[in-house]
Amino acid sequence: MKSRNVFLSLLTIGLSWSCSNDDEQDQEPLGDYANGILVSNEGPFSNGTGTVTFISEDLSVVNNGIYKMKNDEDLGNVVQSIGFTEDEAFIVANVSNKINVVNRYTFEKIASITDGLNNPRYFIEANGKGYVTNWGDTADETDDFVAIINLQDYAVEGTISVALGPEAILAKDNTVYVAHQGAWGQNNKVSVINTATNEVIKTLAVGDAPNSMQLDASGNLWVLASGKPAYTEDETAGVLSKINTVTNEVDNNIQFETTQHPSGLNLDGGVLYYHLGDTVFEQSLSSTTLGMEAVLEDVSFYSMVINNGRLYGTDAGDYASNGTLTVYDLNTKMAIEAITVGIIPGGIYFN
Amino acid sequence: MEKKQIFLFFIGLLAFVQVFGQRDGVIVLDEVILSDAKLLHFSKGTKVRVVNDSVQQKSGTSLTDLLRYNSNVYFKENGYGMVSSASFRGTNAQQTAVVWNGININSQLTGQTDFNTLIPGNYGDVVVRSGGGSVQYGSGAVGGTILLNDSFRFNDSWKNSLQTSYGSFNTSKLAFNTSLGTEKTSFHIGINHIASDNDYKYLGTDSRNENGAYDQLNLNANVGFILSDQQILKLYHNTFNGDRNFSGTLTAPADENYTDLNHRSLIELSSFNERKIARLKVGHLYERYRYFPNKQRDEFSFGQANTLLANYDYKYQWNKITLNGIVDISSIWAKGASIENAQRNFVSGTFLFSHELSDKLNYGVNLRQEVVSDYQSPFLFSLNGSYKVAKNYTINMNASKNHRVPTFNDLYWSGAGASGNLEVLPETSWQLELGQTLEVKNLALSLNAYSITTDNLIQWRPNAQGIWMAMNVQDVSQYGLELGFDWKRKWGSQELVWESEYAYTKSIDNATKNQLLYVPEHMLRSNVAYQYKKLVAFYQFLYNGSVYTTTDNSDSLPSYTVGNIGLDYHWPDISKIKFILGLKVNNLFNKNYQNVAYRPMPNRNFQLQLITKF
Repeated sequence: MKSRNVFLSLLTIGLSWSCSNDDEQDQEPLGDYANGILVSNEGPFSNGTGTVTFISEDLSVVNNGIYKMKNDEDLGNVVQSIGFTEDEAFIVANVSNKINVVNRYTFEKIASITDGLNNPRYFIEANGKGYVTNWGDTADETDDFVAIINLQDYAVEGTISVALGPEAILAKDNTVYVAHQGAWGQNNKVSVINTATNEVIKTLAVGDAPNSMQLDASGNLWVLASGKPAYTEDETAGVLSKINTVTNEVDNNIQFETTQHPSGLNLDGGVLYYHLGDTVFEQSLSSTTLGMEAVLEDVSFYSMVINNGRLYGTDAGDYASNGTLTVYDLNTKMAIEAITVGIIPGGIYFN
Repeated sequence: MEKKQIFLFFIGLLAFVQVFGQRDGVIVLDEVILSDAKLLHFSKGTKVRVVNDSVQQKSGTSLTDLLRYNSNVYFKENGYGMVSSASFRGTNAQQTAVVWNGININSQLTGQTDFNTLIPGNYGDVVVRSGGGSVQYGSGAVGGTILLNDSFRFNDSWKNSLQTSYGSFNTSKLAFNTSLGTEKTSFHIGINHIASDNDYKYLGTDSRNENGAYDQLNLNANVGFILSDQQILKLYHNTFNGDRNFSGTLTAPADENYTDLNHRSLIELSSFNERKIARLKVGHLYERYRYFPNKQRDEFSFGQANTLLANYDYKYQWNKITLNGIVDISSIWAKGASIENAQRNFVSGTFLFSHELSDKLNYGVNLRQEVVSDYQSPFLFSLNGSYKVAKNYTINMNASKNHRVPTFNDLYWSGAGASGNLEVLPETSWQLELGQTLEVKNLALSLNAYSITTDNLIQWRPNAQGIWMAMNVQDVSQYGLELGFDWKRKWGSQELVWESEYAYTKSIDNATKNQLLYVPEHMLRSNVAYQYKKLVAFYQFLYNGSVYTTTDNSDSLPSYTVGNIGLDYHWPDISKIKFILGLKVNNLFNKNYQNVAYRPMPNRNFQLQLITKF
């Protein structure tokens, strides 16, 4: 209730401010949430709803639960991620098998996609369509797919059958790359999809459990795999793979130690970053071996994003209370601000 | 090891005092027939409430329904009929023990009892014993203990009861009980079948409880033989077979299905004379669950546990002193989709002492030490006393140290992203309680204040590698007040019974000072029954205060009140057959409420019941 009041008062302040502003400027703002950060909060796992938090660019305004505020309904159970088109945000609720489509700046709801999804994970736009990775039934290792979404009527218009556990998804021109982390198990593939034919044209082998991907300015795709964890009793090392997107061949595999399981690959200012244990490391794009240069130490993040020299890292706490987002300046290595967000903050995006 | 010697000393003492004392043989026989005599002698000074079978008829079928409206145990139900966990005095489900004929039956896998998998109707009385009781009842008797005891009736006629019921959501119930007691033998069988589509409306939405159907079969059978005037043999059995779909939530549909299978068997041989009662119990408990994440498919995960137990209980009465030594030995095997064969061996020694110092003052000292193969168990004790200040006013006091041991899941789980932890310690809990009761004519009042401190609370949290593990993460405290009010009046052919309980509960994380999840600060329940000749009308009322749903107390569920109303008509006997026709309306005011967030409870619903006794 308290946060609602704070929100309402902020809204009032915002309104009066924008009113007085309108008199002076003719440029219409795109919406209340146009300039800032969006954090997707998974919400409680077994019952409840995920939420989205808006944080203004200068970190001074924080609005929690903006979807519910605008639309008076819940997003759904376990908000896994948000994908974007130019004007829209696709908010993926995994357990609810639902994607809510909103205007990314006003957060007003446009549509809900419920048919044709089964355990949806991540959304990307490519070649005028939406592509969503789906685990399918977790007991079935052969029913995993990528759903194709028509961006005019927001319906699933087709599916592409893929290998087990499609997770992160990335587009380069008309090609879509899918990392197969392996759902509840492990996999070690990257699928290459041609969006003109909507077919898997190639499946590449990378390290075990690929969790994140980045595309550099030279057109290389970097895939970070965490390796199999110890409890599988077949522990394997993390691997950072460099894929040439012209030939779609793996150029180089950089190996970690068997007990090292990195995650959270980021690319900012021509440098790669990742998270390993309680440290954030950087890695040069030109290096063919591991640099292991520590950028930030004694930190632990549920998820992290690096943007313009700043690191945004979330902490899910005890997973049953509101989490926090901490913003670090990577030059000074100091925390600038810690912001209370929603329950289990898993995704960080820039609007 | 020192404690072991103390225990052996007490056993020796027991043998020594055997020479003294005198007692009435009939009283002893009555006591031997009881399946749990510890309650009789060694619970003085603790709050014990008996829910009798006339109350049971008015409540629903499950132990959840019965206790929700007749005790101050608070229940969280994942939708009506789904997994139901109890919270007693602000503690959690694993800190509530369920005891069947003296044997603790909390799941070896989860450490808790799902109160929707127990059907109380075949037991005589259900007893609610508040406060710590680990010395008497073992792990989990921290917040309180629920006792289910079969009764044996010798020298009784052949009695049959057939209960049929039908109501909303296609809910049908059938219960048949038959018992026969001769001078030397006693026999009882009870069978229940309950099935429901359970597809109630989610009030305020267009959706229904789509995946909530359940079907349950329960059997109780027991036989007793008086072998001689010094020996009784008793056999107990209970089988429960439950098949439930698991309800979804307001934000997510579900396709899950879950089956439970429980077998519980016990043989008890008692030999007794005026002074002593020796009981030897040998028992077997079997529990198995199967979880189908998608009920359309064949894949399931499962867990099962077998417990083999033997228990020797020697009680000696010496004038005003009662002494009791108990040795328990058990072996438990568990396996499952995420547990490789795991075994636990367990030995415990218990010493109970009770002394009636005068007509007014009674006190007791109880001690227990367990030796377990896979964790270190703390020494447990309890002290209790009651003092009759005046003819109708009694003061009670008890202090105890109790525990909740790590479960097989806590220690041995091995699955995707989660792992058991062999380093986990038992939770230990200290508590103190003061109570007073006042009884005047038609009125009984009780006031209890308690304080509980629990160290090393076991919870599942992700470790540094993101793998969920059982850990001792928290120290918590509970304190609260309970007020009880019973009033009864009879005049002419009318009778009015009114009983109410109010509970104020603080349950706090010692580090953050926040109220723990899902513990209502205020709870009030009230039952009124009015009888006029052959007509009985009753009303059940429950106020459940607001509960927090996040550990930082940032989010909560609103409070709610629920009312149920019922009318029973006792038909004039037809050739010695008794008929009772009943109608009950649950959630009379069609209240939209949840006791677990996003899992609505049923709208107004009806149940028609016919009981035939012959």
